[in-house]
Amino acid sequence: MEQLFDLALLNTALRVLTPILLAALGGALCARVGLFNVGLEGFMLLGAFSAIAGNYFFGNVLLAILFAILVVLVFSFMFAYLSINLKANVIVVGIAMNALAAGLTTFSLRALFDVKGAFYDKEMVGLPKWNIPVLEDIPVVGPILSGHTPLVYLAFLIAGVMWYYFYRTKSGFRFLASGENPLAASSLGLRVQRYQYGAVLASGVLCALAGAQLSLGQLTMFTEGMTDGRGFIALVATMLGQSGPLGVTASSLLFGFMEAISIRFQGLALPTHFTQMLPYIVTIAAMFFFKDKSFLKDAQKQGSSSR
Amino acid sequence: MNKWMKMLSPLVQPAAAVLVGLLVGAVAIVIAGGEVLETYKEMWNGAFGGFYFLTNTLSRATPIILVGLGAAFAFRAGFFNLGAPGQMIFGALAASLVGLYMPGPGWLVSIAALLAGVIAGGLWSVMAGYFDARFAVNLLISTLLLNYIADLLAGYLVAYPLKDTSGSAAMAQSAMLDKSVWLPKLFSGMPLHIGFVFAVVLAVIIYVLLKRSVIGYEVRMLGGNPLFALYGGINRGTMMLGAMFFSGGLAGLGGAVEILGSQYRYIDGALTTADYAWTGIMAALLARSHPLGTLAAALFLAALQTGGQGVERNTEVPLEVGAIIQAALILFISARFTYDFLKRRKGSKSHGTAV
Repeated sequence: MEQLFDLALLNTALRVLTPILLAALGGALCARVGLFNVGLEGFMLLGAFSAIAGNYFFGNVLLAILFAILVVLVFSFMFAYLSINLKANVIVVGIAMNALAAGLTTFSLRALFDVKGAFYDKEMVGLPKWNIPVLEDIPVVGPILSGHTPLVYLAFLIAGVMWYYFYRTKSGFRFLASGENPLAASSLGLRVQRYQYGAVLASGVLCALAGAQLSLGQLTMFTEGMTDGRGFIALVATMLGQSGPLGVTASSLLFGFMEAISIRFQGLALPTHFTQMLPYIVTIAAMFFFKDKSFLKDAQKQGSSSR
Repeated sequence: MNKWMKMLSPLVQPAAAVLVGLLVGAVAIVIAGGEVLETYKEMWNGAFGGFYFLTNTLSRATPIILVGLGAAFAFRAGFFNLGAPGQMIFGALAASLVGLYMPGPGWLVSIAALLAGVIAGGLWSVMAGYFDARFAVNLLISTLLLNYIADLLAGYLVAYPLKDTSGSAAMAQSAMLDKSVWLPKLFSGMPLHIGFVFAVVLAVIIYVLLKRSVIGYEVRMLGGNPLFALYGGINRGTMMLGAMFFSGGLAGLGGAVEILGSQYRYIDGALTTADYAWTGIMAALLARSHPLGTLAAALFLAALQTGGQGVERNTEVPLEVGAIIQAALILFISARFTYDFLKRRKGSKSHGTAV
């Protein structure tokens, strides 16, 4: 057991949960306005790739992240336009976006860098690791909380901001209302479509950050399909967290911890299949208990009309 | 004249979508520094140029058709079953288990393995249907989640208890099936196997079933207007279980056929990396859940993939150009949902503008 649990495990958990948390917050925003965003995975993958591409061409981490955000914004705009204005089925658009992202990143990897599988360049600088002055000296908490990339802290900050926005501001209340009952909201003069666009574009930004953390956070490289289902795990975290910022953070913590344990198991040559399976099982089990929540009904609306 | 127009009009948008897809592909080819016409010629040759390539394309299409038919059937009944990847994995796993461990003559084992695939895929799918019908656990989400569980479970089984220890390779895969169990090839030396015939026959059967039978009418009614179906005395729960079993069974058969006809063993991740299941779902979406249309769409998508391999072999352009064309196609076709939606809504303005 001592091999399994130590402080480094919790440190790893914080690092690996960040992409999930960022994307899940984006998913929560979309779910709250009645758009079930299956495309998180693809957005994240595009973010990871364009962060590396930006890093390579601009040689600057900040510009790389901005470039990633820009690229993903273009695609999330496409998602929003298709599903809001053209009223295409959100699920279908999401699936197609994932396929497009997978194809496009692998294609660009070949077309731009002329490599297959993975791209790595020694010149590239990853995200800086912040050692927080006072915090890092505190015995137990220090090694866990200190020494992460800025995006890790940003993710938690965004979760807090989102909570404040949802429950303490007028605009956030309107945002929730336009998702809860679009018809009533629009009859009161709220621009429902504007909130929907805002949610999708914001989720694009969050997924771009998630992708950047993935590709620049630890190893500074891009590998084909490197999101490896994390977008779907984020979707699951959104559902388990009932699309609320605090719930999403809690479920992301759980899944991050599971992933950290999986990584540890891998190091010890133990089967990781069951620890990887746990997020999905927990979520299905949770769905037996929480069901009449608005976002599920929205998803059901999507689900019941396949054409 | 009018009749012809009526028959051709559903083909207009798919044709336009194909055109848009090819245009997007052309842009990608130019960016990659390739010659557009040359590349498309290579793509055509990779998919259809010569008998070997044609049969290769058809054999790749086989599981895609079966999965697509299953998805189309569920969509027709109004159930958004996205669990095809997991159902296919269970079908494949069950088929390889029966193929490996059942005693008896080869042809019998082969048939039993196919049936086992259908049953395993169907039961895995029915589970999600039961959760929805009984406990109101959203079908779309649960089927999506069950895919991962199935993949990881099968991955565990072939990595540990069922791992092939005879070979030198350290891959997670089951042992090789005996030759007597393999599905017969249609032409000697070619990759095409008899599973393709099953797929085509099933497409026709499902078409007739949906169009002419009572059950087919009930399925279409449930998908078209659930409230009317309820009023007409159709039990949604029972229908859901039946439709989900049928849908998952077809996906399972797709997996079983792929194992018995092409791969001869369960290799961890081989079905998911080839993306048969998602391609099948896309074929159903492209064809708007029409069984014969799904058959055609599956052939087309398979041709894009094998054509992409041809492009990769002979030009500088990566094979993912096929994936890009495919995604652009789906995105364009998804806007069609819209078009109908607007037409239907035009009469009644009462619904407001929000949704």
